[in-house]
Amino acid sequence: MSASLISMVTALADDELVLGHRHSEWTGFTPYIEEDVAFSSIAQDEIGHAAALYALIGQMTGDEPDKLGLGREKSEYRHAVICERPNQDWAYTLARHWLYDTADSLRLETLEATAHKELAGLITKMRREERYHLLHADAWMKRVAGGPVEGRTRLIDALHDAFSEAMGLFEPIELEEDAVKEGWLPVPSGELRIRFAHKAGEALDSLGLPTEIRSRLDQSAEFVASSSGDLIADGETHEDGVSIPSGLGGRSGEHSSDFDALWDDLTHTFREVPGATW
Amino acid sequence: MDTWEVFRRYGHKSAFEHCGTVTAADSEMALLMAKECFLRRREGEHLWVVNRTDIHSFQDETLLEVAADKSYRFPEAYRDVVVLRERARERAEQLAGEAG
Repeated sequence: MSASLISMVTALADDELVLGHRHSEWTGFTPYIEEDVAFSSIAQDEIGHAAALYALIGQMTGDEPDKLGLGREKSEYRHAVICERPNQDWAYTLARHWLYDTADSLRLETLEATAHKELAGLITKMRREERYHLLHADAWMKRVAGGPVEGRTRLIDALHDAFSEAMGLFEPIELEEDAVKEGWLPVPSGELRIRFAHKAGEALDSLGLPTEIRSRLDQSAEFVASSSGDLIADGETHEDGVSIPSGLGGRSGEHSSDFDALWDDLTHTFREVPGATW
Repeated sequence: MDTWEVFRRYGHKSAFEHCGTVTAADSEMALLMAKECFLRRREGEHLWVVNRTDIHSFQDETLLEVAADKSYRFPEAYRDVVVLRERARERAEQLAGEAG
């Protein structure tokens, strides 16, 4: 059993669970019925991936998958902060869906080369579904970016909020160096972050979206380390005057207050009815 | 947005069957929606969407009503013929025998 492997899979599973939960909040409220079905299905896929990843961790630790997914304290979750942000409107949901699935496809592509054979097999299965998620996100982005002014404007505003926070997906995981050394993580998070910034930037250019979003992305592509060496998780201007992107800290369990209500909701039944099955 | 008629089939040997409609702005979105609405539980392996405006029918569908008795166009109408034919053959053989 490797602590760094568990750390890596936990981060991946928690991203899928928490974002899947946010997506599922659209069920019944999506702009129209076909999209309601499609987006709910994507939410189910993400939660299904989380369940499979928790089961894999459970094989190593002896924990029940439900306990891993629903039986932890808030500070024990390792998802990126962007996953826990409220849905706001469809534009923000779309911007985040696109950023996440663009990032996820890069991450999963490289993870197929992980030294853990069973995880590699699971990643291959996940990628079959993730291919649809990215197609879906790309199709929506193309239409909203090239569509009427209101939608386009809302999308640009949403991307301003979401872009820098998406970098939190590539914040180094706990025991990152061990995970790389032991072969679990084939490409370090920092390298993936650069690839993501490049790919997302190019996609924005081809969508004809304003370049200021991209320049903001480039800026936030550099993490700012505090004097203690920790990554700084807040959006405040730091003492040295450098503006620090928000959305960091998730990989070490420092979540925003947005996670409070989500966690209550997500874990409610598990806490109220111990041993419940469904 | 347009209305798209959705067809699906399972395997290469069966025919495409109509399974419903989706509303979408264009064919790409229609396919993306139709996949989740109609193929999410492996109900098929192939999918078509057709813009409803590309489907044509008679303006006056009373043309399709059958005016007269068409029973003679079905094979069942000829079941009795076999019996009659056999009877005629026996009769012919009988007549030939009498003549000989």
